[in-house]
Amino acid sequence: MTARPFLAVLQREVLKLFRQRGRLLASMIRPLIWLLVIGAGVESLIGGEGGGSYRQFLVPGILGMTMLFGAMLAALSTVYDKESGVMRMLVIAPFPHYWIVIAKLLGATLSAVIQALLLLALLGVLGYLGAIVSWPLLALGIFGTAVACGAIGMVIAAITRSLDNYAVIMNVVIFPSFFFSGALYPVSQLPPALSWIATVNPFTYGVDLLKHAALPAGHAFAADFPAIVDISVLMLFSAVAITGACIRFSQESAVQPLLQVPGRRRKKPQAG
Amino acid sequence: MTLAIETRGLAKSYGDVLAVDGIDLAVPRGQFFGLLGPNGSGKTSTVHMLSTLVRPTRGSASVAGHDVCRNPVAVRARIGVVFQELALDNTLSVAENLRFAGLLNHLAPADIESRGRELLALFGLEERRDHPVGALSGGQRRALDIARGLIHRPEVLFLDEPTIGLDVPNRRRIWRHIERLRAEERITVLLTTHYLEEAADCEQVAFMRQGRIVRSGDPGALIRQLGHWIIEVEGSDAAALEQLLAPRLGHCIVDGERLSFRHEDDDLAPVLSLQRELGARITGLSWRRPNLNDVFLWINEKGLWEALPQPETAIR
Repeated sequence: MTARPFLAVLQREVLKLFRQRGRLLASMIRPLIWLLVIGAGVESLIGGEGGGSYRQFLVPGILGMTMLFGAMLAALSTVYDKESGVMRMLVIAPFPHYWIVIAKLLGATLSAVIQALLLLALLGVLGYLGAIVSWPLLALGIFGTAVACGAIGMVIAAITRSLDNYAVIMNVVIFPSFFFSGALYPVSQLPPALSWIATVNPFTYGVDLLKHAALPAGHAFAADFPAIVDISVLMLFSAVAITGACIRFSQESAVQPLLQVPGRRRKKPQAG
Repeated sequence: MTLAIETRGLAKSYGDVLAVDGIDLAVPRGQFFGLLGPNGSGKTSTVHMLSTLVRPTRGSASVAGHDVCRNPVAVRARIGVVFQELALDNTLSVAENLRFAGLLNHLAPADIESRGRELLALFGLEERRDHPVGALSGGQRRALDIARGLIHRPEVLFLDEPTIGLDVPNRRRIWRHIERLRAEERITVLLTTHYLEEAADCEQVAFMRQGRIVRSGDPGALIRQLGHWIIEVEGSDAAALEQLLAPRLGHCIVDGERLSFRHEDDDLAPVLSLQRELGARITGLSWRRPNLNDVFLWINEKGLWEALPQPETAIR
């Protein structure tokens, strides 16, 4: 009974994912460019060291990237929903308003996981999945990273009024999250300042968990933190971020902008 | 008599702006109730409080038997809300929008299907079932938006300026849909509008001004209180005309060069004689039956309404 509103939001998310073919195509091409172009380029610089190539090292990073873009953009679509009529349908529906956060987060997670599975299939075809160490850990890594990225997106969506500053979010949140993580290089080998930033970046731990699943231990490119640390950080961060977004969405002021009719907002004179 | 909507001293302020200033409403189940007034009189803020989206600053309200503050989710389960702005997803089709809204309201897919067919037939949208909302006309979108608000068979339907932004043919069409809806389903409807003539079919109306209800009652009775005719006299020297005519026709409402008088008698003979008498001093003389617009104008003129003969049926 209570599952139906969630089903509604999830169905809509999947429908949108497959209708916006350009977005889906981009989410496949983006990581493959990193893997096949940047990966091959860097590899020609550093030379393929024994035990695995840089391209193999990039596999968890680009999986994480797909989740970062997929989940965060899906969560940020909440801001578009605020401007369109969808959020009005959600706020008038018979459930507490924090459900909207949970439902949108589940939708973002689902959308990101689907994209990750599609990418995995492509990687399999290209022959990059031979080195996977642990499939269960990979599944956990994909899910945990998707939830954490969706949670970052929901926090931003909860405090943002419009996506006029979309490019700002892209440049201030999404790209730094990606570059200041272990997705492109091992965190342990970064200069101290960069290494410190990567350590406080929650996305780092998602990628690290994926490294546990995809890269053999003891390798120069292996994971930087114990898997249990990765899982704990992802869970803790997600819980805090989701709670914050839920609290924000439960406030009347979060609903208010939806109800105002642009250009027709009245100034009330003193009631007489 | 069970009440679908009941408020006591309901008030809302935004900062030091008082949008709603202590209103008492009692809308019986099944009634078609009109909350009328100009833009900014507090109608929409009232609807937002009654639909639980905004918390009252003072007072209390219950809708469909539940308190809007203590049990907002129970209220939302029993009401349908049609906002001034559409609550539809433009990227989805007509049927998909109804499905989305139905699932959000915990309906089973089979119920959504059958109820959806019923509503699309009622609102003349059967042919558009699989069209994207973006391809519909403004009137069709509004019709779909109302259908969306009815998908879960609410006990109370809020229509906040349902015809705003529509042209006249589409406004008429929306009203025909609403009439059919009321004929087929006995639900309580609270309508807000500043097109006062649209509220003539309401069983009860309340006029709001500056956050307060200034008068309420049966629209027919309110109109009858004004008398049989409204006589409009136009002339360049309105002040002189007023002085001349007031002793015979009583108080008038002056709007630029136009004076509006009430005429209680059905017999227009005295008016016809005016035409001969005034001749070139006037540029226009006309008469028509009073409507809710006139009621609103007479209510707003200080002391004028109170001076009218008060029939037994009038409320307040």
